[in-house]
Amino acid sequence: MKGYAQDWIIDSRSNFLINIRELFAYKDLLFRLVRKEFLSSYQQTLLGPLWVLFQPILTVLTYVLIFKGVIGLTTEGVPSFPYYLTGITLWNLFSELFLNTASTFSNHIDIFNKVYFPRLIVPLSMVILNLIRFTIQLGLVVVIVVYYHFTANLPVDFFRSLLSLPAVVVVTGIALGSGLIFAVVTTKYKDLNGLLQFIIRLMVFVCPIFYSLSMVPGKLKWLVNLNPLSAQFELFRSSILGTSGIDHGQFLYGFIFMLITLAAGILIFNKMGDKLIDVA
Amino acid sequence: MIKVENISKRFQLGTIGSGSLRRDLHGWWERSVLKKKSDFDDAKNGSQFNGKREFWALKDINFEVNEGEALGIIGRNGAGKTTMLKILSRIIKPTKGRIIGRGKVSSLLEIGTGFHPELTGRENIFISGHLLGMTRSEILKKLDEIISFSGIESFLDTPVKRYSSGMYVRLAFSVAAHLEPDILLIDEVLAVGDAEFQKKCLVKMNDTTSNTGRTIIFVSHNLQAVTNLCPRCLWFDEGVIRLEGDSRSVVAKYLSRLQEKVWKQDYNTWEIAPGNEYIRMVSVELIPHLDDPEAPIDIRTPLTIRFRFRNCQPKVNLSVDLLLFTISGECIFDIQSKAVVLNNEIVEGECTIPGNFLNDGSYYFSLYFVKDTSSELYAYNECLMFEVADFRENNNWYDKWWGFVRPNFPLTMKRNSDILLNLKQTELF
Repeated sequence: MKGYAQDWIIDSRSNFLINIRELFAYKDLLFRLVRKEFLSSYQQTLLGPLWVLFQPILTVLTYVLIFKGVIGLTTEGVPSFPYYLTGITLWNLFSELFLNTASTFSNHIDIFNKVYFPRLIVPLSMVILNLIRFTIQLGLVVVIVVYYHFTANLPVDFFRSLLSLPAVVVVTGIALGSGLIFAVVTTKYKDLNGLLQFIIRLMVFVCPIFYSLSMVPGKLKWLVNLNPLSAQFELFRSSILGTSGIDHGQFLYGFIFMLITLAAGILIFNKMGDKLIDVA
Repeated sequence: MIKVENISKRFQLGTIGSGSLRRDLHGWWERSVLKKKSDFDDAKNGSQFNGKREFWALKDINFEVNEGEALGIIGRNGAGKTTMLKILSRIIKPTKGRIIGRGKVSSLLEIGTGFHPELTGRENIFISGHLLGMTRSEILKKLDEIISFSGIESFLDTPVKRYSSGMYVRLAFSVAAHLEPDILLIDEVLAVGDAEFQKKCLVKMNDTTSNTGRTIIFVSHNLQAVTNLCPRCLWFDEGVIRLEGDSRSVVAKYLSRLQEKVWKQDYNTWEIAPGNEYIRMVSVELIPHLDDPEAPIDIRTPLTIRFRFRNCQPKVNLSVDLLLFTISGECIFDIQSKAVVLNNEIVEGECTIPGNFLNDGSYYFSLYFVKDTSSELYAYNECLMFEVADFRENNNWYDKWWGFVRPNFPLTMKRNSDILLNLKQTELF
């Protein structure tokens, strides 16, 4: 006779809530999946993990060329390289995590079909993986900011920079929550994958990555304010580079939006996850 | 301990899986808002789609497995065996019913689940082990054992995409063989891999059931393996349990169901009877000598072939050849009768093949009618087909037995001390 803890019942009901104890029992799998993704994405590549740093640098150079060079957008008196880099670093976190989470079922259906483990492990491993990548890219941001501090007299304030953390948390939460919702609906309706791509392309422009909210004309402001990520991008940049101030109400809107999407995402994912295996 | 109560599983083929949001929204709009039946619904309600397009893979399944018991599940493809195992492994949810159990469950529905081709063998041992529910410390403790069981030490740091399929299976199975759950669910995973390694794995599994009190549920088409590993067995058929009982008798009944039961051909009218101007067939019949009419023909069963024909010409010096072929066309034997002088009359012939002569497999007979033991009058090819099932006792070889025939001649061994060991061939292994 084993202890009560290992007694189990299987029936037709699905769990809405997270079973923390079960998730904890699979923590080794969680970290192994992170390692697997990280190792496998750099097999047989020329530069390997250096791509984590090259990708944002190349994107920033493109932005500098187009938005500053061709279009002539201003960057609030901050050098354009660190200005674009902060926005792109946070954007990478959101878009990668959102897309990775949204493809949970399509990328792992072979495994889901053959072995049981709490399905939430997969999106959680994506969160850890993308936060690791983000941390590495944040290291690049620090190096660049320090460099501009000494060469271009960019003001640096360590304690003010800590304010960027809430922005990272909210962006991660929204990416995970909405990714979970999309993971379920795109598995059920394959045609929504097109919508997914559209959302990502649209968001690049609706998020203040290469512009600031203060530059948006009044009649369009509602559109950018509707985006719960806008305030987070502003907060992230201003805390690191000391650019224009933060709208607290907008941050709170993003935070509440995160709580709702996260709760809805987990509920839908847990509830529908079992049923999707039948049709995926 | 596992108790399965009234488990049913319905798959919805049309409604959930229609896969297009536009179609579902359209259907909803037409049904709920406009309150009319859409064309799509009409099509679905037609005979081809049959209402909601439901499919019950399992219907009200009940059984129990005791702690330390090995239970076999057999049945044809699509009988619901894998669905049952997937519900037990929590991969899919049952539609109705419940299962209560005690103990940690691991399931092996596929070999090498989660293997990443770009990563090394060592890395994949951990991925696969964690997916099967092992913790890091459990894997580390058994790592050396897993590696030596697989026998691919020197390729451990090579990406598995460069492995041969045999090496891949060995590595994957070695991880699985070192699981230590209380309950192990195994689907048809032994169908892959070479015979020698399959045997090693089956022996390893057999060890675990008899030594550590592990509960095993084993789904397989390898009936020999089921009878050897599992004392008790369930026969699934079209989503219900057809029969439950001790493996040997369940397997025998299952085999007998699979075998063609009609071994007699009667040709009532002259027109349809095979033959020519010399010979017309009247009937051919295969009579297995079985104690139990429910039992299948197996390698121990004596078989009698009885045939009738009409000789249509006067004063023919006729002999008959009975030929036995394997399904792939090799001739096993050609038995010739003595020649008899016959007039226009009906003649009956009979031949009995003793038990313990044919190996398991599919065979067919042909009859050749010969005049003056030299010229062929008529060849009745492939007149009867039948199958011989396998039967083994006290034997750990799970693979196909070699040879066209399987006679039971005594095979003896002598020691140096001149003690005669009177072993039959079947007891050698």
